Amino acid sequence: MLNVETLQNAPNLAWLAKKTCENFHNLPAVTMVLANGMNGTLSYKELDEKSDHLAIYLREKLKIPAGSSVAIQMPNCLSYPIAALAILKAGLVVVNVNPLYTVPEMIHQLNDSEAVALITVDIFKDKAAVMLDKTKVQKLLVVQLPEFLPYFPKKIAQLVIQYWNKQVPKVSVPYISLKESLRQGAQLKKEKNLNVSEFEKGLNHQSIAVLQYTGGTTGVSKGAVLTHGNLISNMNQLLVMLKDQLNTKEETILTALPLYHIFAFTVNFWCFFVIGARNLLCPNPRPISNLQRALENYPVTAISGVNTLYNALNLEDWFKETPPAKLKLAVAGGMSLHLSVAQTFKKITNIDIIEGYGLTETSPAICFNPFAKPKEGSIGLPLPQTEMKLVNDSGQEVNNGEPGELLIKGPQVMQGYWKKPQETAQSIKNGWFATGDIATRDSDGYYKIVDRKKDMILVSGFNVYPNEVEEVLSEHPQVLECAVIGIPDGASGEAVKAYIVLKGDTEPSKEDLRSHCKSKLVAYKTPQHFEFRKELPKSPVGKILRKELRKEIPGGA
Amino acid sequence: MISEVEKKLLGIMMILIMFGMGSGLTWRDFFRAMKKPQGVGVGMLCQFGLMPMIAYGLGLLFNLSTPAALGLLIMGCVPGGTTSNIFTYFSKGDLALSIIMTVASTLLAIVATPALLYFYGSKIMQGELQIPFGDVSLTLFVLLVPVILGMLVRKWNANVGAVAEFFGGILGVVVILFLIVTWIPRNAGLLSTTPNEIFIASLFLGLSGFILGFGISKILKQTNKRAMTICLETGIQNGPLGIAIVLFSFPKELQDAILIVPVLYSLFIVLSSAGVTYFFRKWMTRLEMQKLKTDLL
Repeated sequence: MLNVETLQNAPNLAWLAKKTCENFHNLPAVTMVLANGMNGTLSYKELDEKSDHLAIYLREKLKIPAGSSVAIQMPNCLSYPIAALAILKAGLVVVNVNPLYTVPEMIHQLNDSEAVALITVDIFKDKAAVMLDKTKVQKLLVVQLPEFLPYFPKKIAQLVIQYWNKQVPKVSVPYISLKESLRQGAQLKKEKNLNVSEFEKGLNHQSIAVLQYTGGTTGVSKGAVLTHGNLISNMNQLLVMLKDQLNTKEETILTALPLYHIFAFTVNFWCFFVIGARNLLCPNPRPISNLQRALENYPVTAISGVNTLYNALNLEDWFKETPPAKLKLAVAGGMSLHLSVAQTFKKITNIDIIEGYGLTETSPAICFNPFAKPKEGSIGLPLPQTEMKLVNDSGQEVNNGEPGELLIKGPQVMQGYWKKPQETAQSIKNGWFATGDIATRDSDGYYKIVDRKKDMILVSGFNVYPNEVEEVLSEHPQVLECAVIGIPDGASGEAVKAYIVLKGDTEPSKEDLRSHCKSKLVAYKTPQHFEFRKELPKSPVGKILRKELRKEIPGGA
Repeated sequence: MISEVEKKLLGIMMILIMFGMGSGLTWRDFFRAMKKPQGVGVGMLCQFGLMPMIAYGLGLLFNLSTPAALGLLIMGCVPGGTTSNIFTYFSKGDLALSIIMTVASTLLAIVATPALLYFYGSKIMQGELQIPFGDVSLTLFVLLVPVILGMLVRKWNANVGAVAEFFGGILGVVVILFLIVTWIPRNAGLLSTTPNEIFIASLFLGLSGFILGFGISKILKQTNKRAMTICLETGIQNGPLGIAIVLFSFPKELQDAILIVPVLYSLFIVLSSAGVTYFFRKWMTRLEMQKLKTDLL
């Protein structure tokens, strides 16, 4: 286990990164693994040096003033941790941008965060070109996806990306290559005898580390202000919980979730970074067979994922027939984990998926199942130093077993939404952050999310929570994914409608599906309407967007 | 026909390609293929049960001359060829299973090929049949040694393995394109003098092997990936071995008449396999993307 004192005493993330790298020195820190097994590794020492050089470049060459925002837009690759650590070491603020964002979404986020520089990958050059005139971004740093791989694999991978997949847009836009900026940073460091620790001197737990954007339930995306203290606390909370499972310098974690998302950023990257683990970065988990070589070639001991990822792995023959032998920890979050997915995964790997719960606004983890005593379908117990309560509409705490809105208080709760005092005041009252999720607590203190506030369906005065219906539907052997919403219905006010994506091509009869539901659900919860779809609308993290489906219904929300 | 020099060159190319293919494989791939041995079983059933029957049937159906029918039958009774592994690789099939099947059928062929030829051929053929052991062991050598070496290289360093796999793949495409492009000029003489029914029978031997191989695999509940692999393995026969059997077993004056079918088959099979592979690859890519419908998690 990591020297917990180092973590508790860390004044900021820059200091923590420096200490960590000095501690683990020549151990592999990050390894990018491509679908064909090509790979490249940076040791803790290399990661430290490269991020130092970039930090110096940002501050000394580009003259970016301390506290400014710098955006990163990258899939998982070796340049990501260099960029993220460099920005923090330079005393700047990280803004994670989803690479799949459309240009308007990107412009909104860059303008809102007031980012002055963007570090991106050449495959997104076209988006960067449009964005340059319309935001405060002055400097563009560009890198090739396979950068820092050994020479031949790098050339071949770039050849395939550029000429076979034709992913590199042919636009000319003024940029600096990341490689060149590292070279200049190294030179500056030598010439002026610079030390990066100068940049982090003023940083403390209250300093802003990350502006993490979240769509939330309504309107345009908002930036959650996460401080150095928020992230250090959350790491600490998670590692205390997992202290008996993880060993310093011995772990290998598969990072298939994108690092620009807070889940992978805190859980995969930071938590495993500070314990000297090797982080396997997979640029694209689609198709899911892209993960096969990473799982085969390395002794993967931990996986993080969302329901969609575990579901996809469960369907793969190679995964079923040769599951990872060293795996001991599988965590899920981001969306509710379906019981059937967890059970199949357990059957294959003999590992319980430990489900947790968190939000962008809470850095993200709030609640996790204890490793020794997980409860299926539950999000577990509050993390250390985290208080949770459930309240009804009038703000009164509810009894065990009754649903109420989940409020939380803890060191991981954000400072507020960036430049949105009104929204901040609405969601944080007296130090309690309102999650907008409806949960219940059982007599053992375990929580269970029953739904989001807005997704509830009211059928003839009875409350129906879509998750529950979806859970049952997804147990049907032909159902791959589903979403349940309420649609207006004269007789009952609302009726339950299910959208279904099938595993194969043969459609089950609606009667078949209905009787399947009826065997497990009370009549009013059973869907009245079924519709088969090729796919369901999803957020970048794979969360099914029920509100998009509701929009299609006349008179729907 | 192919000259001796070209034949040697092609052999070296095949060794390099198979080294590349092997560099893309792990021990787990073989472990998985062996964990469900029904796959290999179904493959052998198609190889030695189905193909000789198709060959014999086509001979009767098109009322081929005795030497042509004999040539067709020989092509039906020989084991699977190494090219099936290359096409399986490109169609995103189960390469380990394909290699195991080729090795198994080549070993089984030492007994099965003469037995089947005797069984089906006793009505049309007199005399002794010789199985050229030299060619059988050459097939096994070209297949196994480079594949094992490639796998060792990969185990030693995944990056070197992946680079070798990349170049092996490119060489594979080059060789296939070479065989297709030089097809007509190389065989102009043969093409103009051969009767139509021999053309059709030679083409149909491979095609029926594909279709029935796939069908039977699906009936026997193989996954799409395995069915695809068995399909290619069944349709693609070891052409050079068939030619060697003829050269070993028959007097010179008979050889040319028998050889027409193995030669024509060898040419047609490259074309039809390329088509089937193109289709399978598209299909597999679509299936893979369907399993995870979101773009990035």
